[in-house]
Amino acid sequence: MSAQEIIRARAKELLESGEIATFIGWEAGRFTNQTTPLVITDAADAGKLVFNEYCANTLAKYVTDVLARGKVGLVVRGCDSRAIVRLINDKVIKREDVYLVGVGCPGMKDRKTDEPLKKCTECRHNNPLVFDEMAGENAEKAVPEDRFAEVKEVEAMTAAERTRYFESIYAKCIRCYACRDVCPCCTCRECFVDQRRENWVGKQNNVAENRFYGLTRVMHIGDRCIECGECERVCPMDLPLMKLNRKVIQDMNDLFGEFESGLVISAEPSVLTTYELTDREEFM
Amino acid sequence: MSRIGVFLCYCGSNIAGTVDVEAVAEMARTLPGVVYVETNKYTCSDPGQEGVKNAIIEKGIDRVVVGPCSPRMHEPTWRKLLADTPVNPYMLEVANLREQCSWVHKDKAIATEKAKDLVKMAVAKVARLSPLHSTEIPVHKKALVIGGGIAGMQTALDIADAGFKVTIVERETSLGGKMVMLDKTFPTMDCSACICTPKMSEVGNHPNITVKSYSEVESVSGYIGNFEVTIREKAKYIDYTKCTGCGACETKCPSKVINEFEQGMSKRTAIYKMFPQAVPSKPVIDAEHCRMLQEGKCGVCAKVCPTGAINYQDEDKLTTETYGAIVFATGYKLIDWKPLYPEYGGGKYPDVITGLQFERLVNASGPTEGHILRPSDNKEPKSVVIIKCVGSRDPNKGKAYCSRACCMYSAKHAHQYLDKVPDGRCYVFYMDVRTPGKGYDEFYMNTVHDGAQYLRGRVSKIYKEGDKLICKGEDTLTSQQVTVAADMVVLETAMVPADGIDELAAKFTVGRDADGWLVEAHAKLRPVETNTAGIYLAGTAQGPKDIPDSVCQAGAAASKVIGLLNKDKLESNPQISRVNEALCQGDGACANICPYGAISIVEKQFRENSRKVTRPVAQVNPGLCQGCGACTVTCRAGAMDLMGYTNESIMREVDALCQW
Repeated sequence: MSAQEIIRARAKELLESGEIATFIGWEAGRFTNQTTPLVITDAADAGKLVFNEYCANTLAKYVTDVLARGKVGLVVRGCDSRAIVRLINDKVIKREDVYLVGVGCPGMKDRKTDEPLKKCTECRHNNPLVFDEMAGENAEKAVPEDRFAEVKEVEAMTAAERTRYFESIYAKCIRCYACRDVCPCCTCRECFVDQRRENWVGKQNNVAENRFYGLTRVMHIGDRCIECGECERVCPMDLPLMKLNRKVIQDMNDLFGEFESGLVISAEPSVLTTYELTDREEFM
Repeated sequence: MSRIGVFLCYCGSNIAGTVDVEAVAEMARTLPGVVYVETNKYTCSDPGQEGVKNAIIEKGIDRVVVGPCSPRMHEPTWRKLLADTPVNPYMLEVANLREQCSWVHKDKAIATEKAKDLVKMAVAKVARLSPLHSTEIPVHKKALVIGGGIAGMQTALDIADAGFKVTIVERETSLGGKMVMLDKTFPTMDCSACICTPKMSEVGNHPNITVKSYSEVESVSGYIGNFEVTIREKAKYIDYTKCTGCGACETKCPSKVINEFEQGMSKRTAIYKMFPQAVPSKPVIDAEHCRMLQEGKCGVCAKVCPTGAINYQDEDKLTTETYGAIVFATGYKLIDWKPLYPEYGGGKYPDVITGLQFERLVNASGPTEGHILRPSDNKEPKSVVIIKCVGSRDPNKGKAYCSRACCMYSAKHAHQYLDKVPDGRCYVFYMDVRTPGKGYDEFYMNTVHDGAQYLRGRVSKIYKEGDKLICKGEDTLTSQQVTVAADMVVLETAMVPADGIDELAAKFTVGRDADGWLVEAHAKLRPVETNTAGIYLAGTAQGPKDIPDSVCQAGAAASKVIGLLNKDKLESNPQISRVNEALCQGDGACANICPYGAISIVEKQFRENSRKVTRPVAQVNPGLCQGCGACTVTCRAGAMDLMGYTNESIMREVDALCQW
């Protein structure tokens, strides 16, 4: 049986048995090279589920929307599973809130170009890290050697060049907050940009406010980013958002040792909120 | 609409000399919400304060901005003033026009502009403040002193004499610390044990003092007035209610172990008292070296004990008690010079000894009964080299700081050596001779007159030739190479913080400096307090000191403790963190970062979107929170807010500053 067939069969069984209340996967889009996320509550809809090389969206964050109905089943690849781990570690959901059907991911394609998606070429964990069962086997995929190549390009610029570069980025940003909405690490009950009483960041769309938003976003997810690349994929203005995320991750590696977020479910506090006697503190 | 009163101060010419206070006042009158502005020559003076009070009543002011000196200086004054008026004492903002403006600027025009900005910010902030109210917290009238050296004992005695109960935790088997190891004390040359052991027995017999020897602090929670401390009393294997301290067990024990008290220069038994005058004057069994406890064979001590006090089944005991105040008197140790100074042999020459070893050698109850005999062959050294600043004032190898006591005790060592070996020669290599103290320089000069040869310079190498230790150095006063063939070398090594202080300080959230010494709340004005309320410092835990200074500081710490324990209730600081539960996700970042353990994550029930949900949220313990604000900047969702410094009020300050 193909992974798609297993997913359909298991979704049907799980919904019928009442073990889960909803199931999240993908359905075919209008064109063959397109899918959209699908939430089903009726076992009869399980036949709509697909799994093919155009399943671009990660699914984990939809769990928070449908959790009120009861336990959620969903398909997880590497990125989805890390997002689920993130949500659990951030106490947004509990492990028992979700039933995870794992599927090996060979990497997805960009429907516009039919080339592999950028986020998938950069992926280091394509197979699920947490799951309740696997639909089929793990998939093989090349692991990129240097995840910080993009960062080095920016670091090589002079200060003036960098300023111009970032200004050009934030001049384009339309503050649609798609990057925030899609991010499995952005799970605050109310985002700082919406806190009008404090008014942390102005509503005006200009380079200064946009940059403040962008930098605060990247700092807020600094110790959480699972490098799924969804922010960059969904950005309607094609801003290179992962560059900034990876810069922070590179700094985290440098300061606190090799660091990758969302690999294991753990109650261990983040390195940014703990203190070790051996921590570097040359700023003191 | 708020009715803000602004009171600007000339501070004589301190502020008015560099800031045009009247121009600032003129600007303040235009700010939204400001109903009254007044300038004053000395706002903090009695007539000044009276003027503020009258204005508050007459103008119906409900929030106050003052523009005087630093809030570190006078914020309590203004709060006290407001307490006598209808205005809440926390509806106050201090614009620091002196320390942060007039004192640091010269150009009057620029300083005036800055003063305007500071006042604008304060007005913007005070408009967003809300009234805060203190609560009362009880005080447990009992103190804990950690460390039973001279500083700890003096602190305990002073507190106990004032009528409060004190517990001393000492990790060694006896009180006394380092002082009881010393032979004589400078500059009066009274015998250290003769002045220290009476203190030990006074502590041991004091009705208000409980001594917990061979014990360590296991854990601590709570806050000023209410510290809950768990103490681990290590297994002594001896029932102290039965033991009479007769010492029969010690004479029969077959295990021989290196004697730490004698600095490794003699052996002791496995069942032992640290030294004859130990308090408590009863032995313990060193489990690691006891044949019975290690191999299950022997049991001689149990056989000879006339009272049946030996109990091989003894276990560590944990006791938890509540204390109102805690004093750290954890002391120091000598730096381990061996890995740092391979040029001094790195420990391979037995006749290169430390100052503390010399103290034991010259002590009548020491391993040589007070005869100065060198460790390698028990011969009397006819020529001794004393090297000062080994590890001190040497940032490349040891510590950058001066250990303060070594100049004096090296002079004492030279004096004692020349006294006991009249035909001997003594060379002291020094960098400087620092003798600031009553009778100190006179003592040093006497040593020089005794015949000690002071050479200004460091020794660069020590090597062995025959049975002589050849010390090569430079006399920097004559710029000549000096070579001394010595029989024995004494290294006056640096003081460093005692072992385990890092963990202990972390448990109590007491700050440490770069060298590991505990940090006082203010270097000059609060030298025995720490930044954690209710925790105090005595002796060398805070930094290198000699005995008189340690005793002084112990008395100072005790007076602070007595002042605290004299109160029945404390007023809590209402400027603490508050959780906005609607925003809180309960991920616990705040709880992890909190240096005072004041935040916990609890499951709470809420009604959200017409459904009952149970979810984790943070909870602040108002007694523990010190209002540092670390949690407010850690919380990404902004769910943590510091009362009196709310996110909103700070953002309005920033807005006021950024207006153009």
